[in-house]
Amino acid sequence: MEATPAWRKLPYRRLELYEPEGDLMTLQLGPQHPSTHGVLRIKLHLDGERIVKAVPFPGYLHRAVEKLCEQLTYVQIAPIVDKNDYVAPMTSEQAIILAIEKLLKVEVPRRARWLRSALAELQRVASHLLWLGTMTLDLGGALGGGGSVFVYTMRERELVLDLFEGLTGSRFHYNTHTVGGNRHDVPAGWAKDMHAALDLIEKRIPEYETLTQNNRLFVERMRGIGVLEPELALELGVTGPNLRASGVDHDLRRDAPFHAYDEVATNVITAKAGDCLARTQVRVAEMKESVRLARAFIDGLPEGPLVSGKPIKLPGQFKVNSGQVYAALESARGELGTFLVAGAGTSPYRLKIRPPSYHAISALPYLLPGHTVSDTVAILGSLDPIMGEVDR
Amino acid sequence: MAVNEDALAYHHPLYDLMLNVPGLAVGLAPVDRLLTWGLKNSLWVFPMATSCCGIEYMAASASRVDIDRMGTIPRASPRQADVMLVAGTITVKMAPRVKRLWDQMPEPKWCIAMGSCAISGDFYRNLYSVVPGIDTFLPVDVYVPGCPPNPEAVMHGLLRLQEKVEAARAGHPVNAEPPPELFGAISPSLPRLTDQNRPPELSEEQVQASLTVVPEGDPGEVPVDLTPPSIPGALPDGVSTELAPLLKDRFGVAEIPADAPPLVPAERHVELAATLKALGYRQLVFVAASHHPAKKDGEAEAFEVAYALRTVGAGSKVASWRVRVPATESVPTLTPTFAGADWQEREQFDLVGVRFSGHPDLRRVMLPENWEGHPLRRDYPADHAAAPWR
Amino acid sequence: MTLFAWLSSILVAVIVLTVTAFGLWWERKLAGRMQSRLGPTIVGPIGLFQPIADLLKLVQKEPIIPQRADRALFWLAPPLTTLFALLVAALVPFGPKLAPANIDVGVPLIIALGGLALIPVWMAGWASHNKYALLGAMRAVAQSVSYGVPLVLTALVPVILAGSMNLNSIVAWQHRHHWLVVWPVFLGLPAFILFILAMLAEANRIPFDIPEAESELVAGVSTEYTGMHFGFIYLAEYVHTLVGSAVASTLFLGGWDGPFGPSVLWMVLKTCLLFSVLYWLRWSLVRLRADQLMALAWKWLVPAGLALVLLAAVWTQTPWGR
Ligand code: SF4
Repeated sequence: MEATPAWRKLPYRRLELYEPEGDLMTLQLGPQHPSTHGVLRIKLHLDGERIVKAVPFPGYLHRAVEKLCEQLTYVQIAPIVDKNDYVAPMTSEQAIILAIEKLLKVEVPRRARWLRSALAELQRVASHLLWLGTMTLDLGGALGGGGSVFVYTMRERELVLDLFEGLTGSRFHYNTHTVGGNRHDVPAGWAKDMHAALDLIEKRIPEYETLTQNNRLFVERMRGIGVLEPELALELGVTGPNLRASGVDHDLRRDAPFHAYDEVATNVITAKAGDCLARTQVRVAEMKESVRLARAFIDGLPEGPLVSGKPIKLPGQFKVNSGQVYAALESARGELGTFLVAGAGTSPYRLKIRPPSYHAISALPYLLPGHTVSDTVAILGSLDPIMGEVDR
Repeated sequence: MAVNEDALAYHHPLYDLMLNVPGLAVGLAPVDRLLTWGLKNSLWVFPMATSCCGIEYMAASASRVDIDRMGTIPRASPRQADVMLVAGTITVKMAPRVKRLWDQMPEPKWCIAMGSCAISGDFYRNLYSVVPGIDTFLPVDVYVPGCPPNPEAVMHGLLRLQEKVEAARAGHPVNAEPPPELFGAISPSLPRLTDQNRPPELSEEQVQASLTVVPEGDPGEVPVDLTPPSIPGALPDGVSTELAPLLKDRFGVAEIPADAPPLVPAERHVELAATLKALGYRQLVFVAASHHPAKKDGEAEAFEVAYALRTVGAGSKVASWRVRVPATESVPTLTPTFAGADWQEREQFDLVGVRFSGHPDLRRVMLPENWEGHPLRRDYPADHAAAPWR
Repeated sequence: MTLFAWLSSILVAVIVLTVTAFGLWWERKLAGRMQSRLGPTIVGPIGLFQPIADLLKLVQKEPIIPQRADRALFWLAPPLTTLFALLVAALVPFGPKLAPANIDVGVPLIIALGGLALIPVWMAGWASHNKYALLGAMRAVAQSVSYGVPLVLTALVPVILAGSMNLNSIVAWQHRHHWLVVWPVFLGLPAFILFILAMLAEANRIPFDIPEAESELVAGVSTEYTGMHFGFIYLAEYVHTLVGSAVASTLFLGGWDGPFGPSVLWMVLKTCLLFSVLYWLRWSLVRLRADQLMALAWKWLVPAGLALVLLAAVWTQTPWGR
């Protein structure tokens, strides 16, 4: 066995080993706090302003989705899981559909796969935009520079939402994927709108870079804060940009391709440092890459049917073989997977959603000790957790 | 009458003056109009943004809709807010906090229920952990329907609230907004605030006590069609073929099924994890437990826990296996090998009820500490009621 | 006090409060425009009455005192914050004759009064019996103590150059030699910038607003305050920034000195301009962390301030500086 890594020895659970200078103070951050990204409670044990131990308490948004899915038929599930990752509902939906298709061994037409990839990339752009806004909001406060960046990124996010609305009729919670294909085909002129929107976003990304990662104050707040070591990240199952910022070159779009990612090459963006700044840089760079990919997928959208075979209309039409499948895709936050245990009926026997955010916040007890209360919001924000997905 | 005394739910020196000095009240009618104008044009919002609807609320405060135009700014502290905008699903665990925050707000205060979750619990409303509508414990002034309502709808809701504020202060009888009609089966054990026969106030003890109430489930009855799957065959999807000999020779796996992870003896699985880790499966993907109730043919109640690991980098592969134990026994924890198993196993313990031996911190994670039962067990009713919230 | 002194102090108080009310609106408009939004538009013409509506609303809110709070201190602290902030305004000359209190130790008194503003903040934080408020108050104290030093040092530069602590004499001196930021530029400009930084920190504005960092501390010191109590704290912030801008323009930008027209106009104009610049900063920067803030004060601002004071002393001995 190799030597025990430092983080295994962290006294994050053994408060009694810590010798404070004065009394320890406990601070309950949340569940309703301006920067807990929804409803997360973190119990902080403070020595002055320094965190000695941090215990996160998720579960304030536990909506019992997995139980609900056991009650519903396969067709009914997709619109429900939309609401899990409410910042990127598109990929949330795709993850479940992928698993069902894998279970049923349904072949998805090439056009649908390309369209799905394009939507996933657009969704990634929208999600990272929102993240960048809320991240700076945490750093600069709602009444400050952070607020400005937030409004800018929301403005660009609206462009993407408009595209989705044009395609599916809904700003989010789309329910556009069906088993074996997509429900909504690209309307006329949509590709042109998309190019216009992406051009605008691409033009503005450098502006955000100026406001954030090229801004001295921002960098000072983020550099060296919340360093996530690659080995720890792997053991915890932290995925996505958080993992890549720690220097692990791993991206399911390239390494275990789904949709049409085996046909268009993806550049995987990594950073070495593993701190909050690196996570920011990775996400901003990923936005640019996603813009490129989205263009490529829409430009190369093949002709053909959008749904395989007969469109499935009624829930009862499903004939499900029993089996256990796991299907995963790379959402904006990392590996979003579904482990599906099928029974003989029309609904799943057990459905486990593997949310990247839950794994990300499980790193908090390791990341927070040693930092100050101010860093808490930076670290939490940089991990980009979505509580709907954490708690399900 | 300048001040509508009935509309005052609280005591304020200013109003006292206006009410108690005879003549002043009448003379000050324009003053009251001015005060009302002030109230209605400065609605500071405390966003109780728990989930998706909160994102649309954020969009409403961004540049396209910009609710700041009508003087609405968000305040982080409930003490300085006038409107509680509940945007998102309120769970049983969250509801006491929402109530508390509401109580911390100073009068005059209003409440907007944004989105179907806040209005009725949406499609989660019959589930054990969700409150079917915040009007079971908060007096809602305006309902903004939608899933999620558009940002424009939020603006509309605020404008509606302004009308309401004005009407109430002018002494017009303002009926409480009728709650929207609900479709389908919903039977909260607690009537809404708008109901006549609702008990006046719930005490803290009632709330606490109710959280622990668990109706008797009937574990004996298991739906017949829910046969736990176990299919013989070849290699499961995602497990690389070179692992088959390893599993068979070293870990005593008799057969590797075609469409399910192989079953590994419980006492060997920690060793298997360590072996796989050394082979390059360094990332923990998930831990998923499922409950298999006792069956008519005599098969005992059991838990199955599936673990999955992944290799990192190009050509990433998944290796997964299952461990099956009788319900009375526990599964050895993976925490010493994979730090992430800690939280994963906690979640499975909380939801499914499997015990993990050697786990450093086996506490509940999703549900309140004092919850009874494990909701993802097959015999746990999905609409299990956790009063008083439903 | 003469009748004139009374009148001018009332006039100054009115000017300051009107400009503050206008400033509240102006800031929201400015912020809105910077963020590609509109800001208040509905209440009154171009949203001009928004601060009035806010004030009327705040007056009517239920005053809540938390059960475990220290009642007396809790009640007293917010009005005091506004009062202390306003007191400083009384010392600022708005014209050659229009200074409510034209005293010879103006500069040290201003700084002393500015420092005094810390006490109600600490009172509020302590009395609230709230951890966020307490943390905010602790941060405020640490910050004010640290930034008081560079504030004094940079304020000394004009004092040394003008050879007087009387604000009116300093302005008169600037009237004679061009303004301090214009000449001597290598002395006036850095001193001005340092002063602004230190002043921002004293007034708890971004990037130095850690005492009320709402993303970490909910609302810092004011977390538990409702209604008009909060209103006072809110107002004090703006008055503080406004008066700070007034002091900075007096010390460095020539105060009431202008090429033509009434002196009050120039003073108000300069103050408002500086005020807007400060808000421009506020809406484009993120905040620093507490320890970084301290490091900035002690490692950079204090040495730089000391160097400037020395330089100013040397400069007065040269033929140009006399
Ligand atoms: S109403 Fe719909 S959008 Fe709103 S919180 Fe509920 S599920 Fe989410």
